[in-house]
Amino acid sequence: MEYLATTLTFTGISLIGVLGVYLVTGLTGLFSFGQAAFLAVGAYTSAVLFKNFGLPLPVAAIVAMLIGLLAGLLVGVPTVRLRRDYISLVTFGFGEAIIATLNNSTAITGGATGLSGIPQYTTLPVVAVSVIICLAIVISYKNSKYGRQCLALRSDELAAKSMGIHVERLKLVTFLLASVMTSFAGVLYVFYTTYVEPGSFGWVVSAEWTIIVFVGGINSLTGAVVATILLTGLPELLRFASEWRIVIYCTIVLLILNFRPSGMFGEYEFSPRWVKKILSKGAKIT
Amino acid sequence: MNIQLLINGISLGSVYALIAVGFALIFNILKFSNFAHGGLMTVTAYIGYVASLFLRNYISSLPLFFATLLIAALGGGFLALILERVAFRRLRNNNSPVIYYFISSITMGILMENFITIFASSNFYSYPPFLPASVIHYGNLSVAIPDLLMLFFSASALSILLFVLYRTKLGLAIRTTSFDVNTARLMGMDPNAVVAATFFVAGILGGLSGVFLGINYTLYPQLGQMIVKGFVASVIGGLGSISGAVIGAVLLGVVEISLIWVVGAGWAPVLIFFIMLIFLLVRPRGISGIIVQEKA
Repeated sequence: MEYLATTLTFTGISLIGVLGVYLVTGLTGLFSFGQAAFLAVGAYTSAVLFKNFGLPLPVAAIVAMLIGLLAGLLVGVPTVRLRRDYISLVTFGFGEAIIATLNNSTAITGGATGLSGIPQYTTLPVVAVSVIICLAIVISYKNSKYGRQCLALRSDELAAKSMGIHVERLKLVTFLLASVMTSFAGVLYVFYTTYVEPGSFGWVVSAEWTIIVFVGGINSLTGAVVATILLTGLPELLRFASEWRIVIYCTIVLLILNFRPSGMFGEYEFSPRWVKKILSKGAKIT
Repeated sequence: MNIQLLINGISLGSVYALIAVGFALIFNILKFSNFAHGGLMTVTAYIGYVASLFLRNYISSLPLFFATLLIAALGGGFLALILERVAFRRLRNNNSPVIYYFISSITMGILMENFITIFASSNFYSYPPFLPASVIHYGNLSVAIPDLLMLFFSASALSILLFVLYRTKLGLAIRTTSFDVNTARLMGMDPNAVVAATFFVAGILGGLSGVFLGINYTLYPQLGQMIVKGFVASVIGGLGSISGAVIGAVLLGVVEISLIWVVGAGWAPVLIFFIMLIFLLVRPRGISGIIVQEKA
């Protein structure tokens, strides 16, 4: 039971990260390779504030999110005007720079050995509530004016601009929202594992989140959620084949990319209306 | 001391140049950043290692070095052909958006890294010392012979590449296809063959850089993450530009060595990030100034 709870908690935390990537990559078509660095920013800021400065947990969490916002501004402001490839490069460099900084400021962060002795406050219900809140934010963002503008911008930036969409500002807002959300996931993460080290926030984590969004289907939020549950749960299921599990994981991703390019779910979104339709159809058949 | 830094920087930069050019070639033709190149470098570094262990019984020193390079380069070329077949051919036939190539290449990179971890464990290996480890002194400058040889081999590989690109029919075909695939097809070129040839050439470069990286550092599965240096170099040089990539790589090598000397290896990545950020703000199209058009 404990094992199941642990798996679910980690899945929930990754889900918040993936939702951030969904906003940036799925909705807006930007490629962030340093998203995991925001997880690190959130985790380290809150842990250091809590442990070394004795701030109460909610204050530490809020400050961590603000720092995440600042980091998002630092990366976002110069890059939103650039070509999309550069955004992936800059976010990548940002991620590596954050890790190098964490490794080197040994006095505050404990360097490569990490920071330990953080009390465990995150529980499964807390994570569940956070996931629901974040999901609600993302759903309403997607359905809002901004979400639609993001979709327009993703398909054709020039056309979106000529329709009067403030492209740069929109990109920045979306990026900041994702940064703050991921920083929050970092707070949840550090108060669950009670230990952080810089190595666990490398670009491979960001790449994995991006892969998850693609496997689910870039247009489908439902897909992102289901893919997170499958793909973060899958390594646990494949534990019997521990050495081969990443190979299996990559093979699945390649198969989906090659044979079902729109992802598992394509454009499909789960909605109450769909349930009603299925139910009424079922009633007709029987 | 400054000239010494310059020399070390250039010899490091020459290895980065090999990576960056292999990277730029693929970008040139398919317009995506090929992260699978990193995995390819890892695998070829191990191929070269195994080959050198076998051949050590028959030949030694320079001939051994040649043979290792040759085998790794060919291995890289054929591996790149397989890669193209498995990861990108179908995507091209489906007319998938560029972003899918990107994802596919990252996945292939992670996949190859893991194959190495499974078959060769995550231990560190080092190449047999087939190069004379002596140092040439000139005044108060010193140059290690392995560095010099690496510089020589990188420079000659790049010159051969430039010759192929600008003086042969194959090079013309590659340049045409990178300009416009459809027109190239109209002119009677087979895009599949041209793309495969490009991958083969990029694979050869990847093989060479794999061996050099393996000699410079040690062999470990994450060696391929040095691809980042190639990526940064080719952005500084201007994405897709071959000569830009070379210039960017040498610059990066010199800057990196100087930064390591000034602030230490720990903080160097942070400063390089800021330099890159400023560079992108000031001159986003890179040194070469080619603007790659976003497809409408």
